Amino acid sequence: MKKEKNVSLAQAKARSTARAATVFLIPALLLIAIFIIYPVIDTFAISGNRWNGISADRVFIGLDNWKALIKDEMFWKSFRHNLIVMVFSILLQIPLGMLLATFLDAGGKKFNIFKIIWFLPYLMSSVAIAFLFVYALATNGGIVSSLASIIQGKKTTIDLLGTAPNALYTIIGVMAWQFTPFYMVYFIAGYGNIDTSIYEAAIIDGATRWQYIKHIAIPLLGPIFKTACTMSLIGSLKYFDMIWNMTQGGPAGSTELMATYMYKLSFQQFNMGYGSTVAAGMFLLITAIALLFNKVFKVKEEY
Amino acid sequence: MNKKVLATILAAALTVTTLAGCGASAPTTSSGGSDNAGTENAQGADATATGAKQTDGKNLPTLTTEPMEITLWDIATEDPSKSTQEGAVHRFEKDYPNIKINQVHQQNDNYKQQLVVAMSSGQCPNIYVHWGGGPMAEYYKSGYANDLTEMYAKYNHPEFIDAAVAQSTYDGKMLAIPFGGLSGCDIFYNKTIFKELGLEVPTTIDELEAVCDKLKENNIIPFTLANASKWTGSMYYMYLVARHSGNAEFDAAYTQENGGTFTSDAFIWAGTKIQDWVKKGYFPDGVNSLSADDNQDRALLYDGSAAMMLHGAWQVSGIKNDSEEWYNENLGVFRFPEDSEAKAKGVPQDVEIGTAIGMGMSFNCFKEDGSVDQDMLDACYVLATQYFNDDTYNNDQMTSGTQPSIKGMEENIDDPNMKIIADVFFNASNVQLWYDQYLPASVTEVHKNCMTELFGLEKTPKEIGEEHDAAMKKAIAEQ
Repeated sequence: MKKEKNVSLAQAKARSTARAATVFLIPALLLIAIFIIYPVIDTFAISGNRWNGISADRVFIGLDNWKALIKDEMFWKSFRHNLIVMVFSILLQIPLGMLLATFLDAGGKKFNIFKIIWFLPYLMSSVAIAFLFVYALATNGGIVSSLASIIQGKKTTIDLLGTAPNALYTIIGVMAWQFTPFYMVYFIAGYGNIDTSIYEAAIIDGATRWQYIKHIAIPLLGPIFKTACTMSLIGSLKYFDMIWNMTQGGPAGSTELMATYMYKLSFQQFNMGYGSTVAAGMFLLITAIALLFNKVFKVKEEY
Repeated sequence: MNKKVLATILAAALTVTTLAGCGASAPTTSSGGSDNAGTENAQGADATATGAKQTDGKNLPTLTTEPMEITLWDIATEDPSKSTQEGAVHRFEKDYPNIKINQVHQQNDNYKQQLVVAMSSGQCPNIYVHWGGGPMAEYYKSGYANDLTEMYAKYNHPEFIDAAVAQSTYDGKMLAIPFGGLSGCDIFYNKTIFKELGLEVPTTIDELEAVCDKLKENNIIPFTLANASKWTGSMYYMYLVARHSGNAEFDAAYTQENGGTFTSDAFIWAGTKIQDWVKKGYFPDGVNSLSADDNQDRALLYDGSAAMMLHGAWQVSGIKNDSEEWYNENLGVFRFPEDSEAKAKGVPQDVEIGTAIGMGMSFNCFKEDGSVDQDMLDACYVLATQYFNDDTYNNDQMTSGTQPSIKGMEENIDDPNMKIIADVFFNASNVQLWYDQYLPASVTEVHKNCMTELFGLEKTPKEIGEEHDAAMKKAIAEQ
């Protein structure tokens, strides 16, 4: 390549990189604009209307929906449920995932069979898992109640999905069953990224396996923990599909999450305007919590 | 750090897009018209000569001979309703070959939502089915349902029973043509168990309670109920309210005028009765976990652990399908017993809970400028009144255990249970549509939650009445 007079090679390279980047980014940008940015803006726009979702006339009512949202007990109740789900998801899924990953990492290739079996739940669709557990937990002929009957020697009913405080925690448990394998694989990858020479050096220096995990591996996995927590956090705040198929927010709203509430308002109660307000409120809350989380748990990026 | 902020925002943004992402357009079928376009002119010309039509000699609008396409949405994904309804469309297309019906079967589970999405994105089908009640009013007010009052008065139509016409009407306007058949709601019971224990069919609520106590003594659950579905528990509530006050208190509470309220005497009485029954163990344990979608209520009936079930008439065909032998041997039916105290005060004891239309068809035939597309509307009317609801259609319906909402049809019933159900229905002084179809959509949600809380003993009858009132007041204010 001949060097042009006024342009340095570095500048030319930067320019051509910029050009290529633009060309390659346009399709992705278009998709993001159409499927994410536009709907977000539209959701906020609709939230200023009274609209049943089908009628041609949308009545602009300014901030009335937002005022209603702030006073809406049901919304804050669902938000509280979301927070409970979030806290327990992080407390259950991530330590369990870590534990399984540590076990698999220590075992090496001969534990591959566990890796496969433990990963299976994550491969099932949420809807299938929902049905599976609805049947297993059914008070009439479900596994749990039947086993309890056998142990007790008389007909015993364990109602995990049909009563108020139980249902939410049952769902948290099912969520953990579904998502722990994901974090397990995530942490296995994290272990894989740690240089083997570090491990060897530690062992030669006389560290035990436990000391290695506690003082070397876990600190090195810090950033991965943080990302995993953020994912679990956002995931549990916007959770919808499995809960919808298991309880539809019931019994009596005790497993209502922001997303199920939004869906009911928008599509079952002909209240798209207010449903959009709930969606927009969710967006703001989730963003705020995620940003706050990132700020509080600032972990050094580099090793 | 900026990148991370952006990433976080984008991740969160995905939550909002779950709403907007649903805006996918309905399946469009644009290819259908061209393949028979060639033959249409020829057939249009000698339409009068192409043999007898089913509609000949009837007072009906003359249909266009131009090619036309009509989209029809239904929820007939499974036989027998699938072949019954497709049959009606085929007969129509045979008689009017220039008109093509694009019949789309939607899944029942999310049909209502799909319809809302289709309407909001300008893809509303020309004919769609619904259950009447609050949503029908909503579709009409939003401009997606033609007013059929004049056509219905002017042209031939099946002699629908009065309750069916009333249920297809909103604000004095006929908005739908019934086609789903009526469904009463009665108590199914296990004849064998009743005989073994020497029990008689109860005619008053006191007798019913005596029967229940006797069943309890023998370790049989009196009522099987799957209340995870909520509308199932609502049947008990609706009937108790109706027996204690006829339609009067519900109608008053519905308008919230002249002191009408969901905390009035009948509602409190019904709620108290239900909670009393729950405490006495008249319902299965874990009643709020059992789901009617999986027929977990029927399962308890089959294995003999429960003896009675208050449910809609469609259970007859469902149970027959599961096991005809069991059905013939064991299943009987009786109407909801009377409240003798209220009867003494002159409260009518023959109000029926149920639906007189099952489902209705509404038409969305408008031109782009908003005026009525009369040609298409004519075709829709003829299809719905003369091909759906014709003899072949009604016979198919009867065979599968559905009672058409047409006068005189009750005389052709063979099944003894269906006969009782039809008798009860036709002798009713009034038919109260299910609350969860009749009430405005926002109140329905409250009502269903309240049913869970009522059977779960989590709230008192007064508290749930107050919740109904608050929701109802809000819905009225928003209208």
